This record gives sequence, structure tokens and C-alpha cells, in this order.
Amino acid sequence: MNFKIKKMKKLFIISLFSSAVVLFGCETYQRKPARQYMPDMGASRAYETYSQNGRPENQNFNYNNMPVSGTVNRGEELPYHLGNDSAGYSMSATVTNPLKPVTGKDSIETQRLYMINCAICHGSKLDGNGPLYASGKYPAKPATLVGDANIEKLSEGTIFHVQTYGKNLMGSYASQLTRKQRWMIANYIKQMQAAGKGSNATGSETAATDTSATGTGGGAATGTGTGAATGTTTGGGR
Amino acid sequence: MIHHRRIANTLVLSLILFFTVAVRTNVIAQNGQSLFNANCASCHNPHRDLTGPALYKVEERWPDKKKLYAWIRNNQEVIKSGDPYANELYLKWNKVAMNLFPQLTDPEIDAILAYVNSVPDPKAAAAAAATQGGGGTSGGGGSDNTLLFGILTLILAVVAMILLQVNANLKKLSDEREGLPALEPIPFWRNRAYIALVAIAFFCVGGYFTVKGAIGLGRNKNYQPEQPIYYSHKVHAGVNQISCLYCHTGAQEGKHANIPSLNVCMNCHMAINEYTGTEKIYKENNVEVNGTAEIQKLYEYAGYDPSVSKIWDPTKAKPVEWIQIHNLPDHVYFNHSQHVKAGQVACQTCHGEIQKMDEVYQFSDLSMGWCINCHRESKVQFKENGFYSIYQKFQHDLNSGAMDSTKGVTVEQIGGTECMKCHY
Repeated sequence: MNFKIKKMKKLFIISLFSSAVVLFGCETYQRKPARQYMPDMGASRAYETYSQNGRPENQNFNYNNMPVSGTVNRGEELPYHLGNDSAGYSMSATVTNPLKPVTGKDSIETQRLYMINCAICHGSKLDGNGPLYASGKYPAKPATLVGDANIEKLSEGTIFHVQTYGKNLMGSYASQLTRKQRWMIANYIKQMQAAGKGSNATGSETAATDTSATGTGGGAATGTGTGAATGTTTGGGR
Repeated sequence: MIHHRRIANTLVLSLILFFTVAVRTNVIAQNGQSLFNANCASCHNPHRDLTGPALYKVEERWPDKKKLYAWIRNNQEVIKSGDPYANELYLKWNKVAMNLFPQLTDPEIDAILAYVNSVPDPKAAAAAAATQGGGGTSGGGGSDNTLLFGILTLILAVVAMILLQVNANLKKLSDEREGLPALEPIPFWRNRAYIALVAIAFFCVGGYFTVKGAIGLGRNKNYQPEQPIYYSHKVHAGVNQISCLYCHTGAQEGKHANIPSLNVCMNCHMAINEYTGTEKIYKENNVEVNGTAEIQKLYEYAGYDPSVSKIWDPTKAKPVEWIQIHNLPDHVYFNHSQHVKAGQVACQTCHGEIQKMDEVYQFSDLSMGWCINCHRESKVQFKENGFYSIYQKFQHDLNSGAMDSTKGVTVEQIGGTECMKCHY
């Protein structure tokens, strides 16, 4: 009897211990990739995006990972030739939009592009009050695209130029948006400005949203003086 | 009586005077803030250098306040007049020309300056808050039922063993009473029943782990490598609501959802150089992460040193070698745009709730069974989607009611489970 109970105790302890090892032995997160069996089909021998078979130019291949300068994608707009300097910036005012004004389905697509790429700073209402600025994380006020006379007088070409090269704290969006998409957005901004002027005549809507967002309460006229703004935006460098 | 009236009069008068002054200063501050936001805030912050210098107590830096007024209205003229401080400033800020503000009057500029000086320094405030508030501990301990079930199984097994032993002992006792000869007790490791049971258990458990291990070869579900920079998708896509497609533009354009290049990071991080989120961030092993230090790592990769130049030179950047998490073997073709743009599948369907992940892990096992299962269940987004206009019969049947439009057409029905769809 006694002998058997002792044995059972031993068994019990062993099983408890082993189950504890199984249950708590592994961490809940996995830092190492899984093992592979015969990975010859897993990793491509051909050079692929983000594949890890080294940089071809280091293996004595004649390889240039940029397209030949001046190459135009199929269906893409022609290259933009003005440079990223103050001369290019002032010249950009004369560049005209090669696309037709966006309407119908295109305008839904353009709005989608604006919401993805621009609204995070410039706000979904184009009031320069996007979530990043409104939450206080972004220290500079993004340009008020609708309702600021200094911005509204910029031509589509200049808006395209700024998207291409960036301006002040805004970076270049040339890597994220194709030339066609940038022209579509420039046109969208112009259309929204025209629509904003229509509503401004009835009441200073943009001014109200501007002040309420910064917490000063309504009414206080937000400077700029739509008519009196003679201040010229001198070529801002970059 | 008269005396009282006089006191009351003065009281009322002084009250009126007090309120006018108070309201007046309030109005000035309000004006200052709205004027600052409308004219200056794109390039200036009270306490931080942006495109232009921090403006806190700027009037103390200028030798003459009149010059400051002149500078604000037309900085180019002041530079041309040869003012030494103005020229020094212009050179220091890389000759970035400040906009002209000829419409601002002296009182308006004073209101702006008053507002700028009234803004408290967020860094000092944060430091004060840090000394006040104790560190919150991270709530952990997810409820996992496996442990409970394991313990229950164990208890039941022990109970069963005890009952078996009791049974054996009772049998022995009754045998003794009936005078049957007691058999020599066989130790359990020589008991055939025990050996058979253990062998079957080993076979089942061992077989389960062998098969599971074999299937899992090369599959990476839950893979969560430590990246060179602690980049929190929760902070970016969750808290700050940045669209997935802002950085992963390629997901709607081509095969790869590209890893953003440094210029995309620097779009925002030129200006955002510290982590100011209210939530603390942790690694998986509960080590707290210093967000500001991680942004400094980004600056190192980008070759951007704000103390040297405010303008970032992208040619100095070197790429961050992020560790790839999701990887399909070469013998299967997968295209992001086909799913995101044509199929209108949400990112979260395959990648899980990425907006809640600090460190990204692989949510799906990316096995063929998983792909096929989704193709069998998912409906094709026929509505207002030019990509599927060629399926005229389906479109016609759906519109005419010959096909149940609530059930829709699955991906399988348009050939989504054919071998050559993905293997070619």
C-alpha cells in the first residue's frame, strides 16, 4: 500500500512538472523565422524586389536600379522639367495642367488620393487642420488650402511643383504619386477652392473652423484680409 | 447715505474698468493666436525651430523693436539695408526667404508676440508631468484557456489513476477473504496494459507533433522579428490615423506593397523629432521603448542632423535594412494590387489588426489551404468595379435575379482555385 502511494506521488509530481514545462517553456512571441526544408523553391534565384540574394552591382553585373533618365511609363504624363530651385518655383506658375479637369468617377478617385496622401496634414476639409496637426503632434501649421488668399492665388502648376519637390517642411511626394495623380490632386484643390469661395460668400465658414479648432472661440477675424493681401510669396528656396 | 452711494459708484466703476481691461487683453491674446496661426505657424513654432527659428522672446534677440517690425513686414528690405543681425539670420537659415507681411500693423504684431510669449514650453511641462506622475505598469495576463484545460485533464487523470488503484486494492482484499492465492504484484512498467497504453499515447502525441512540425516547415505564422528601428504601426496607423496606403503606396499599384523609402518617413519626421504620445510603448518582452531615441535612429539612417542643417540632404541617406516578415515561396505568384485594388480586400483581412500592433507579426500562416479557403468564401466585388465587367453572364444573372445576389459569386466561381492562377 504505502509503496504504491509513494510511487503515485512521484508520478504525479513528474507529470505536473512536465506539463508545466510544456505550457510555460516557450515565449509567446517568435523572433526567429521557421525552419525550411529544401528551400530551393522558396527563395528566388532571379533578382526580385526585396529578395536577399545580394545587390547585383556588387556581383560584377552591369545593373542600374533606376530607369534611364527621361524614360516615360506607359500611360504616364510627360516628365516635368523645372528644377527644384526658386527659379523653377516661380516658373511653375506658367505650367498648365495637361489633363482635363477631373469629373465624375475621376473626382472620386482624386478625393481618395487626397484623403490618403494629403488629408493627414491638410485636413479632409482642406483647412490645414488634419489629424496630425490637430492632435498637436505636428508642430507647424499645414497650409490652409481653402480660404487662405496666399495659397488660393497659386496656380495649378505651382501646386504640382510643390507636390513634386516639397516646400519648406513638406516633403516631396514624387515617390508616392505619379505625375498624373499629382496633376489630378492639383486640379482637385483648385476645384475645392472654387467651391469654398462660393460658400465663403454666405458666411466665413473656414474662419470659423480655423478658430474653433485652436480653441479660441468664434468670431475673431483670422487676419490675412482676403482682399488686402499684397504679400508676395517670394521663391521659398527649395 | 451719500457716503454709501459714492462707495457703490466707485465699486461699480472699478469693476467695469477691470472687466474691460481683462476682456481687452483676452481679445488681444485671441487675435494674436489667430493671427499667428494664419500667418506664421506654417514656418514658426514658439518653442521649436522649424523652417524658421523658434519665436519665444524673439523681441529680446533683436537689438531694436522697430527693426523687428520692419523685418516682419518686409524682411528683404531689412537685409538689403545691410543690417548685420538680419544678414546673419538670413545666412544662418540657409537663405530661406521669409514671406512678406506688409498688412500687419504694429498692434497686430504686438498681439502675435504676446501670444507667442504666453505659450508654455511643452518640454518643461512634460518634464514637470514626468516628475509628478508615476510610471504606469502595463496591464498583462491574457486569459488563456489552455492552462485551465490542462489542469483539468491532469486532475481527471489523477482521479482515474486513484480509482484504478482503489479498484485493484479492493479486488486484492476480496481475493484474500475468499482465500484465493494472492498473485505476485506486477510492477507497472511490466504490466502489458500500461505498456500498450503508453505506447499508444506516445504514438498519438509523437505523430501529432511530427505531422504538425512537417506541415509547419517554412511557415511563419506569428513571426515577429526585431526590426532595426522600433517602428510602431499602432502609433502611426492606429493613434495617428495615417492610411496604410500613405506609406505602402505600391499595394494598389503593383505586386509588392513596398516598404517606404526614407523620404516618406522624413515627410513628417523632419518636423516631428520626438515622441510625444501619451501612451507608453513597449517591446514584446515588456522593455519600455524610448520613441524619441528611435526617431534619432531614423535620423542617423537618413543622414539628417538638425543641429547642423535644417535642410535634409537625401543623398546622405542609407537604406534601413528592415527584416522581411511576410514571404511567399518563389513557386507561387501573389499580387497586391490584384487584391487591394481589383478585389477591394482590406489590408486587415490578411495582415490582422495591424493598427493595433506595436511590433508587426505575421497574422496568417500564408499556407495554400488558407489562400484557397478565402477564395472559396469571398465574394467578388462586382458592384461599380470595372475590373469584373467582362464577366457578363454573372453580371447578367445577378442583375436579373437568376443568381442569388445575397450569396453573390465567389472567387472560386471565376476561377480563383485553378492551379495556374497562382502557380505558373
